[in-house]
Amino acid sequence: MSMFRRILFLAPIAIAAMQSSLPASPSVTAVLSDSQPAVGQMVQLEIKVNGANSANVPETISIDGLEIHQTGTSRQFEMHNFDVSSSATYNYTILPLKAGQFKIPPQMVRVGNNSLRTPELVLNVAQGSSSSGRSAGSAQSGQSTVGSKVAFAELVVAKKDAYVGEMVPAEIRLGFDPRAHGRLQEGPELSGQGFTTQKLQQPRENLETIGGRTYQVYTFKTAIAAARPGKFEIGPVTAKAAVVLPRRPSAPRTTRPRSPFDLFNLDDPFSDPFFSDPFGSMGERTELPIRSEIATLNVKPLPPNAPPNFSGAIGNFTMAVDAKPKTVQVGDPITVTSTINGRGNFDRMNGPALEDERGWHKYPPSSRFKQDDDVGISGEKTFEMVIAPNEKKPAVPPLVFAYFDPVKENYVTLRSNLVPIQVEGGAATGSSAMAAPAVAATSAAPTATVAVTPAPTAKPQDILYQLTDLGRVRSFTPIYARPVFWIAQLAPFILLLGFVGWKIRQTKIDNLEAQRVAALQQESTELLRKLRRTELSPQEYFSNASRVVRVKTALVKNVNPNAVDAETAAKAFDLGEHERAQLRTLFDRSDELRFSGSGNGAATISSDEREEVLRLLESLHA
Amino acid sequence: MKTRIVISCAGLWLLSASILAAEPSAQFAKANQEYAAGDFKAAIDDYETLVRAGQDTANLFYNLGNAYFRKNDFGRAILNYERALALDAHHPEAEANARIARDEARALELVPTRSDRLFAFANENQLVVTAAIAFWIGIFSFAAWIIGRRRSRSAFALSILSLSLFAIAVVASCQLSRGKNGPGLAIVTGDKVDARLATADNANRVLTLPAGSEIKIVSQRGDWIYAALPNNMRGWIPANSAEQVRF
Repeated sequence: MSMFRRILFLAPIAIAAMQSSLPASPSVTAVLSDSQPAVGQMVQLEIKVNGANSANVPETISIDGLEIHQTGTSRQFEMHNFDVSSSATYNYTILPLKAGQFKIPPQMVRVGNNSLRTPELVLNVAQGSSSSGRSAGSAQSGQSTVGSKVAFAELVVAKKDAYVGEMVPAEIRLGFDPRAHGRLQEGPELSGQGFTTQKLQQPRENLETIGGRTYQVYTFKTAIAAARPGKFEIGPVTAKAAVVLPRRPSAPRTTRPRSPFDLFNLDDPFSDPFFSDPFGSMGERTELPIRSEIATLNVKPLPPNAPPNFSGAIGNFTMAVDAKPKTVQVGDPITVTSTINGRGNFDRMNGPALEDERGWHKYPPSSRFKQDDDVGISGEKTFEMVIAPNEKKPAVPPLVFAYFDPVKENYVTLRSNLVPIQVEGGAATGSSAMAAPAVAATSAAPTATVAVTPAPTAKPQDILYQLTDLGRVRSFTPIYARPVFWIAQLAPFILLLGFVGWKIRQTKIDNLEAQRVAALQQESTELLRKLRRTELSPQEYFSNASRVVRVKTALVKNVNPNAVDAETAAKAFDLGEHERAQLRTLFDRSDELRFSGSGNGAATISSDEREEVLRLLESLHA
Repeated sequence: MKTRIVISCAGLWLLSASILAAEPSAQFAKANQEYAAGDFKAAIDDYETLVRAGQDTANLFYNLGNAYFRKNDFGRAILNYERALALDAHHPEAEANARIARDEARALELVPTRSDRLFAFANENQLVVTAAIAFWIGIFSFAAWIIGRRRSRSAFALSILSLSLFAIAVVASCQLSRGKNGPGLAIVTGDKVDARLATADNANRVLTLPAGSEIKIVSQRGDWIYAALPNNMRGWIPANSAEQVRF
């Protein structure tokens, strides 16, 4: 297991070592920070050797009229997925002493056994003040007497002149003496008005030797775009950093031994014995404000007579267009994909437009941007526009994209080729097909419009006729916002109330009927029980028996029991002749006994007679 | 005597009512004649007079749109076609001419929302009426179910069904009112109107809107309106460069 862990631990190191030991073919580039300085304005020359961490470069370059000195070296090591690359950058300062065009010849750079040559550079020096300073496009600011050697801030703007809306790359460089353990607390912030800046990205960190001193330099990249013409002051860049500085000894300065870093006895705070003996005394963490100088940018307005399709794109672009699907029905959507590639202000760019939209229905495009750099001024923006043919069409019309090229200082219109498609269904209209080349001719060469005779069928479709009937007056107000709608709701509401009231009343009535039926059933049951059990007098017996018949009939026919006679009861129960006669006899006996008095007839009822009456009563079912 | 007076009054009332009704029709016919004679400006004036008099009919807005089209004022032409369609969603002539005017002006259209596509079969008013009917059927069925002698399953099912339909219609109506054709729909009447990021003429431009383009007003601040734009973005445009379809 431990063996396996060792292999796991050592394998990346071995791979990295192998990668770094592989001899990459070195290359060299040389760039000037400004190719058009004025006399006395310092310019930076940077010779960068890629694929090597050291090289032999000329210490001085002798050119009449230019004073060139090497100022420092910085080395960079980068590791991406175990792919280690190194580069060394040699910085020179060039001080133009007189005006004119100067050519810096190719310089010989030796990397190991290889000999490389830098490209030839041209410097156009204009007449100007001979006051010393850095190039106009860059600025550097020292700090307090202590800070001057501990930290610096520098704003490097790539151009001195730009157009409104043009993206100008800029770099903010913050350098710290490594011994000061500088840590950025706030910023950097770029102040100024009238321009926008891209969001600062994560800084690149490297060690650079500047003026014989080593600095840990943090480089933030951004881009600046001016909103209006004029002369702009960019910056200063401000930041706050925490640095560790040695405490000043109370002893006189002369007694302090000189630091090996302070070769020329400058005011180097690190000459303090703290740095030679860190345990001898304690350092002091101090908040150090850093501030760069101001850079200037001359912003010119865009030239007039912009092409009609120009929507603010500034830079240098190419365009590729495709459409899918190639075979559709009339009205079916086709996705036209246009890809704008290049360098410029992608954030203000609108998509290409159809050169001739007649006969097409289009929808607003969507876009996505894939940037190639840190600040988003180089990359590829893809627009997807959905269009649908209203009629038969042989091809998707060309797409037109106009931009301003700040290098050529003119407008450029890109025009794609026709994308052939096949549209099925619908009728082909010759007029619209005719109109397309006419419009194409006018947009391709605006000066040639006089040569193009407008065709009589310039309008492929005409609007429909006037209507003679004024029609019914209507309202734009939604129906729910009109009073009549809510008044109309009263009708079903009242209906609902009526319905509920009726239902409640009906229920109540049903309840009364049920109570009456229950009372009659109870009475009937009670009377039958009496008739079976109790020794009743004949008057009571027949009266109760006839009452049972009346109650049962009332339950069946839903009538008043007092209104029931023998015939009604017989009909209600659909009795035969024999039962009918029995019933009649029962009612007669009851009436006889009730109205003639109890003295008539026998004093008791025989059991046979009682049984017969009971059978009759129990046989009464609906 | 009294009968005569009543008959005379009724006759006078009918006469004045018919005169009043005939007046807009006569003015409409006059405007149509002016249009036919090529005097589009006079026709527009007469049509606009009728609009100001409250004669909001789909045909009037359609004819007015045609007159603006002839004057090459595509923004106002599309605005009036849209008004005709707002009053009568199935106005085929307005629909056809609006399409032609849009092609001419290269006007941009708002992208229909998912709800717009889903409920395209009905308009807001139809959905509101459906909701009202479904609501009352549902309530009646529920009441019948509650207070009926027997708890009828069919009454309960009908109430659930109707109240569900009511809920769907209400949601659909709300979605449509928030959608593309809602009360916020406006048409750009100026040509190449710049929608900007802020309420200032020199603010960054979001989109240039050709005349007749559709926007949806979100809010208004002074002389500026904040609107949803056809490219799914939002921006400020001068208030006088767009008019709301429904007024």
